[in-house]
Amino acid sequence: MTEPAVVVDHVSKKFRLFKENNRSLKSVAMRGRSVHEDFWAVRDVSFEVPKGSTFGLIGRNGSGKSTLLKTLAKILYPDRGTISADGKLAAMLEVGSGFHPELSGRENIYLNGSILGMSRKQINARLDEIIDFSEVGEFIDQPVKNYSSGMYVRLGFSIAITVRPDILVVDEVLAVGDSAFQRKSAKKFEELRDGGRTVILVTHSMANIRNMCDHVAWLDRGKLVRVGEAAPISAEYEEFMRSQ
Amino acid sequence: MTYFRDLWSSRELLLNLTMREITGRYKRTVLGQLWSLLNPLASMLVYTIVFGIIFRSDPGPGDPSGLDVFALWLLCGLLPFQFFQNAVNGGMGAIWANTALVKKVYFPRTNLVLAATFSAAFNWGVEMLILIVAILVAGAFVLPFVPLVLVFMVLFALLATGFGLVLAVVNVYFQDMQHIIGIALRLLMYLSPIVYPLSYVAARSESFGPVFGSVTLLDIYQLNPLERFINVFRQLLYDNRVPDLSDSMACVAWTVAALGVGILVFKKNEKRLAEML
Repeated sequence: MTEPAVVVDHVSKKFRLFKENNRSLKSVAMRGRSVHEDFWAVRDVSFEVPKGSTFGLIGRNGSGKSTLLKTLAKILYPDRGTISADGKLAAMLEVGSGFHPELSGRENIYLNGSILGMSRKQINARLDEIIDFSEVGEFIDQPVKNYSSGMYVRLGFSIAITVRPDILVVDEVLAVGDSAFQRKSAKKFEELRDGGRTVILVTHSMANIRNMCDHVAWLDRGKLVRVGEAAPISAEYEEFMRSQ
Repeated sequence: MTYFRDLWSSRELLLNLTMREITGRYKRTVLGQLWSLLNPLASMLVYTIVFGIIFRSDPGPGDPSGLDVFALWLLCGLLPFQFFQNAVNGGMGAIWANTALVKKVYFPRTNLVLAATFSAAFNWGVEMLILIVAILVAGAFVLPFVPLVLVFMVLFALLATGFGLVLAVVNVYFQDMQHIIGIALRLLMYLSPIVYPLSYVAARSESFGPVFGSVTLLDIYQLNPLERFINVFRQLLYDNRVPDLSDSMACVAWTVAALGVGILVFKKNEKRLAEML
């Protein structure tokens, strides 16, 4: 067994469901405190992600896989348990978030790159690669508000994929661009994996799971059902989904 | 300590976010960056006409500088105040305005608030530079005091950051806050010696007598942290003298307190911001 890249240890995540908009000052002042219910989106989940693996999170809608992914990405924090990562972790939950519409593509590369944790020097070194991969061509010096939605997400994806973290956390953003770009992206992920990097992804596409993942964790209603080698578990999962 | 290390390692991000604030705002305008100067200029014109000419607010000549120009005297207080207003408003809205980013990417959230204060500070710096040139042209040799002005500008910016950090968090929980603060800032402007000199308040306080015990109206009036800073900026820029020790100490105390509370509150709530938005 190789060393784990990420250890998820008894993680639980709770959300407070507020009744309509009762977070205003008025409602708090009137009632003294706001009314809410607790909802446990992730309950006591533990697993290890082996180093260099491509690890898929699968489950039905509302199974808590996206919440868990956001917790891995450090956007949400577990209410119980801990997550520890060995190495630099970057998340790609939405491409192009943080683009400023009035700034040019080039300026946005620097802005977005630094949001994702790249230094100016690193961005300079990879600038051509990013522009090349995004296929936006001469539009790179145009404000991104003039971009087509395809160009917008392609540029966002190119920046994120170029960060080259030790661990990459990805939400279903693989379906970006046309089929040619998708093939290119899939190849990029393979390169990452072959380079010994760990990829953790959430996807609904069983084809993606079969083609890319070597390990999966199956979640249902916030609880872990199975974790381990991709092939047997995804077969079992598909069986389960058909029975629903 | 990891908090400050995280912040330090993301300094390039802070720079880029600040640049985004500065260059993004006037990108589609013909006058561009000039707009940030036209605003204080317009306020100066209005307040000079209303309070300097119509109401005859008379601060007297600067001592020992001998300067006697109402507009310059006004700007020494108005520019810091307008910076404070912009920085606090910007800082307060920083998390809320960047909801998409906060919900999708991890980075030290403090950067968003700092970028708002820094971009306001950048504009303020340009304004102060022009003010200093104008004071020189008007015949006061203000240059020896410029280093001290810079020190107090940094302190004042940190004070605004402290307020911004607290309000950014509060505003995520209660959106009522931005409206309350909008009104509060407008009141604060007239509760600070910006369009009238402090001596007017002192005279009123004298004739009114003590409110309770030995506490006078002036003492209550001086609880406003901006009042001390405005005094200091006036003493440095308009009067050309070293500021009172008590005023300076009050400035430092307010800054340390506001920044301390700001960092504590922000750090405690930072992790929950994404789910509260």
